[in-house]
Amino acid sequence: MATFELYRRSTIGMCLTETLDEMVSNGVLSPEHAIQVLVQFDKSMTEALETQVKSKVSIKGHLHTYRFCDNVWTFILQDALFKNEESQENVGRVKIVACDSKLLTQ
Amino acid sequence: MASSTTSNVYVQVIEDVISKVRDEFLNNGGPGESVLSELQGMWEMKMMQAGAILGPIDRSLAPKPTPGGVITPVHDLNVPYEGTEEYETPTADLLFPPTPLQTPMQTPLPGTAQTPLPGTTQTPLPGTADSSLYNIPTGGTPITPNDYPALNDAGGVTEMKAGRPSPYMQPPQPWMSQRPPLDVNVAYVEGREEVDKGASHRPMTQDFFTMSSGKRKRDDFASQYHAGGYIPQQDGAGDATSEEVKVGHGSSTQGGLVTAASRGMLLQGVRMSKRIPQLDGPMPDPYDDVLSTPNIYNYQGVVNEDYNIVNTPAPNDIQAATPAAVIQNDVGEDDEDEPLNENDDDDLDEVDQGEEHNPNHLVLAQFDKVTRTKSRWKCTLKDGIMHINNKDILFNKATGEFDF
Repeated sequence: MATFELYRRSTIGMCLTETLDEMVSNGVLSPEHAIQVLVQFDKSMTEALETQVKSKVSIKGHLHTYRFCDNVWTFILQDALFKNEESQENVGRVKIVACDSKLLTQ
Repeated sequence: MASSTTSNVYVQVIEDVISKVRDEFLNNGGPGESVLSELQGMWEMKMMQAGAILGPIDRSLAPKPTPGGVITPVHDLNVPYEGTEEYETPTADLLFPPTPLQTPMQTPLPGTAQTPLPGTTQTPLPGTADSSLYNIPTGGTPITPNDYPALNDAGGVTEMKAGRPSPYMQPPQPWMSQRPPLDVNVAYVEGREEVDKGASHRPMTQDFFTMSSGKRKRDDFASQYHAGGYIPQQDGAGDATSEEVKVGHGSSTQGGLVTAASRGMLLQGVRMSKRIPQLDGPMPDPYDDVLSTPNIYNYQGVVNEDYNIVNTPAPNDIQAATPAAVIQNDVGEDDEDEPLNENDDDDLDEVDQGEEHNPNHLVLAQFDKVTRTKSRWKCTLKDGIMHINNKDILFNKATGEFDF
């Protein structure tokens, strides 16, 4: 199963990465096992987002920068407005990084 | 802070990961259950510190977290771990910077270390700077950018091949030097006699075959053009010698003693090889092609396949130009590799670092479609994690409308 490493940059991914890093540094964990955990995280996170999350969001804003490189879109928005069912958030500057969803289904 | 749904999903992801790597940790001399528990404890603790998980988590048997309100950090840290020895150690590790026992994984990958990541600023714990090392691309991960470098490499290789036809340079000189010097005039005389006789073409063609069998690149030529004589030999030849060549053709095609005629042509080829370097006028053109257009491949193909005695000097021209072309290519690659990328990285880093000081807003998702009409961009995203205004929000689908 193909996965993205994209979600490692999220809060949960960063917390895991830091944890693994400390454990490897302390010699508690081998780097190989740390990588295995990260790969499993990629899978579990992707699966959880597909199966457990149902909410929808709309995003509007001024597109400051767009970039499409290596099948990854990067947008930097200014004065963006995020809306979902519950709330809405205003952000002065936000970065959106999106991988091609078709790559997972191949 | 995270919504309760986000927190629930996070907790379940942690449970899922821990349960699925358990076999690896327990079997084959793995680090064992205690290390796995330590991993889970530290992970969850960091998540609560970051506010991404609403503690406390009842993780003894039921994976469901107990929904709680906003809890003070002290409460966060202690309650879920109370009485379980495995959490004492990681806490100590966090308080006292760990001594790195293993160095191989310590080197941060260039370019990734400076990317601001959510949580980095919030939990400046030991090892944060090294976290990037886990971004090592794994096989089969689609987002690794290896494809493009591969394409570039392939292009470079073909270009290099096109730029050095040297394998076809050397042969002419050996066989030229091996040829005994012959009187060209004899060949012409005999050819004209044959014209008068109207002898058949075939024997001479076969003679030509035998003559050329030992010579490089003549086999192809002969098989293709045996009926029509030497016509392709005029391609690309120097202007000064073309008429002489035609004389040779005339004699041979009309029934001359082909062996003698072809020998005469060989001699002409020898002469031309000496003359051609002086006819450097055309040289810049193929040279430019080498540098600028893919047509060079066709050009080289002609050189490799169809060029013959008369034309053999032509590759010499290209060979002479090759070193310069290689230098040009190197310069181009240097431009691409070093200064350009470095500058780009610096610019990006400045932007990113600037963002890092601000509250870090980031959306990580997959895109289904991105379209643009004039300056209006629309995109549909799915399966995303947003970190906005210090909240983690997950979404199944998102639509974006941006004006550029």
